[in-house]
Amino acid sequence: MDADLGIVLSVFWHTLSYWWVILPTIFLGLIVGAIPGFSAANTIIILLPLTLAMDLEMGLVFMVALYASSRMGAGVPAILVNIPGTAGAAATPLDGYPMAKQGRGQQALAMSFVASTVGGLLTTVLAILMMPWLAEVAFVMHSVEMIVVMLFGISLIATIASKDTLKGLIAGFLGLMIGFIGSDHVYATPRGTMGFLELYDGIPLIPALVGLFAVSEAFLVIEGDSMLTHVGREAMKKASWKETIEGCRIAFSKWWHITWTSIIGLIVGVIPGAGAAIASFVAYQQSKSFSKTPELYGTGHPEGLIAPESANNGVTSGTLIPLLVIGIPGGATAAIMLVVMQYHGVSFGPALFRNQPEIGYGMFMVMAVTYLIMTLTILPLSRYMSRVTMVSTAYMSPLIISFTLVGSFVPRQYMFDMYLALAFGVLGYVARKTGYHVAAILIGVILGPLLEQYFLRAMKMSQGDISVLFSSQLGNILWVCLALSLLVPYALDWRRNRAARAASDIPED
Amino acid sequence: MNDPQSTEKKSLGAELIFPVAALVFTLYYFSTIYNSPWTAQVAAFFVGAILIALVLVFIGRVVMMKARGEADLGMRDIVEPLSILPIRFGLIGLTILFTIAIDWGGFTLTSFVFMTLSMIMLNRGKSKGLAALVAACFSLAGYLLFIVAFEIRFPHGPFENLIDGLF
Repeated sequence: MDADLGIVLSVFWHTLSYWWVILPTIFLGLIVGAIPGFSAANTIIILLPLTLAMDLEMGLVFMVALYASSRMGAGVPAILVNIPGTAGAAATPLDGYPMAKQGRGQQALAMSFVASTVGGLLTTVLAILMMPWLAEVAFVMHSVEMIVVMLFGISLIATIASKDTLKGLIAGFLGLMIGFIGSDHVYATPRGTMGFLELYDGIPLIPALVGLFAVSEAFLVIEGDSMLTHVGREAMKKASWKETIEGCRIAFSKWWHITWTSIIGLIVGVIPGAGAAIASFVAYQQSKSFSKTPELYGTGHPEGLIAPESANNGVTSGTLIPLLVIGIPGGATAAIMLVVMQYHGVSFGPALFRNQPEIGYGMFMVMAVTYLIMTLTILPLSRYMSRVTMVSTAYMSPLIISFTLVGSFVPRQYMFDMYLALAFGVLGYVARKTGYHVAAILIGVILGPLLEQYFLRAMKMSQGDISVLFSSQLGNILWVCLALSLLVPYALDWRRNRAARAASDIPED
Repeated sequence: MNDPQSTEKKSLGAELIFPVAALVFTLYYFSTIYNSPWTAQVAAFFVGAILIALVLVFIGRVVMMKARGEADLGMRDIVEPLSILPIRFGLIGLTILFTIAIDWGGFTLTSFVFMTLSMIMLNRGKSKGLAALVAACFSLAGYLLFIVAFEIRFPHGPFENLIDGLF
């Protein structure tokens, strides 16, 4: 299964011939990615009859291009109006939205596109080169290791809470409690459902996302005529193509940052059941932990935008690896691809790359070509997209409410989910007006049920022995990494402060 | 004349809404699991206990600040700026009505009415025609995208039934 360069190149050229499928799919992907509720997975399910009617190659080109472009599309509203299109973009507004409010939306979009493209391309190449080894990751990640990975994501709550630790922790722990709503994972006992049958499967993610970010934002932005600050408005009036070029320059100057955060995304993507939300939270947390300027995070810091964007695009390549190598989908979209490929009689594993390289390598090549075409099409659009922030809040707020509330209906098609989004909207509004971070709540809602699931699995397998958490070699390595990632920033901070104190103590001549 | 000391006081009443809601929810959650198997309890009791402890520490902090005269229990944070309070309540009310009415009014018509009324209200009664035009364009675009292209099964109302009848 080692990559043969000749075959890979010929598949690449072959894939380019599908540009006429990829190009319109990119625009569809950007739209469905930008509307909360319309993930790539939902769209592929909706268009499944069409996909099954296409020949296999074209169907896969369509699905992979839609997957990659929707990932990038989700970042656009996250940056411009503080509404992540999918959970994978939930960490993007932490620094993207402050940039947009400062009138740097165009720059932020350009940075996001470059980070997504470079991260996506890099991880695609790495995926092809290291496929056999990366596929092993799916086998070695058991419940204990997954618990530590979840804790990496959850520790972002503490990072976000740095301004007022107590408030941040209350928000994060309430999020975890909300995440525990629903039937328990072993005996299906309903918990905290308030009698609603619709909550037995747990809190649906999209209504929570829509409510906490979009609806609460719509209630808040009406305090001003514009979403922009005064300085931001002035900056937007003077904006030119230079802003796009500057955004690209900043992103390229952070190439090392893009590299390692996209690799985090690749590795998390390989783990079945993990996904882009975890990858982006972990990448943001790690990025801040090891930054020389952690205090700038949350204020519109380029690194805080680049980290989650490159990581969630790294996930895209990662999820394809277990699918193609061992036939286990890494996420919802990959699971639908599995159905389509099985429908066409495709066999997985080394035989796929030997007998049908145009399928095996082809899926990665489609991703690479999609990213290349996307760069050429979407970068010039960043200037016009960023103009959205200039629209008066009198028009923007009702549009946000109606389209996102309707978006919350889409995944399960329950009216209940619209009421739920509204309830989360009020919760988010109260939280934001009183200084509690909605991202901390969302992290809890996303990761709470996953953490509980893996914890219970580990407990059941060890018959209630808590020491199982420290029973695996890889798990212990990850525990040490987690401890280091939490402690090192404090150590660095302490050293910096000591150096600063020492410098100020030196008597002037 | 206002006492300058009192204007500097932190208004912490609004900040208590969230932790008190968290406390109430956690106690409710506990009430639903106290007779359940341990698998349903373990994570919730662990996280819930920490949350209760955090909330109690927060309440203690507020009480101490109040006792020292550094804070009051006002709700300023959540209601300010007062000038837009009626509009904010109006928007929240319209949003609730939109969510209820979409079930029988259908997506397109309800969205149009909600957006038009909200835009007019937020514009303080100005630009009514423009508001109606923008709302009409976006509700039709939504109809074409969600119902025609993606075939999402939104509740049908008079507009959708009319179109279905015509074509």
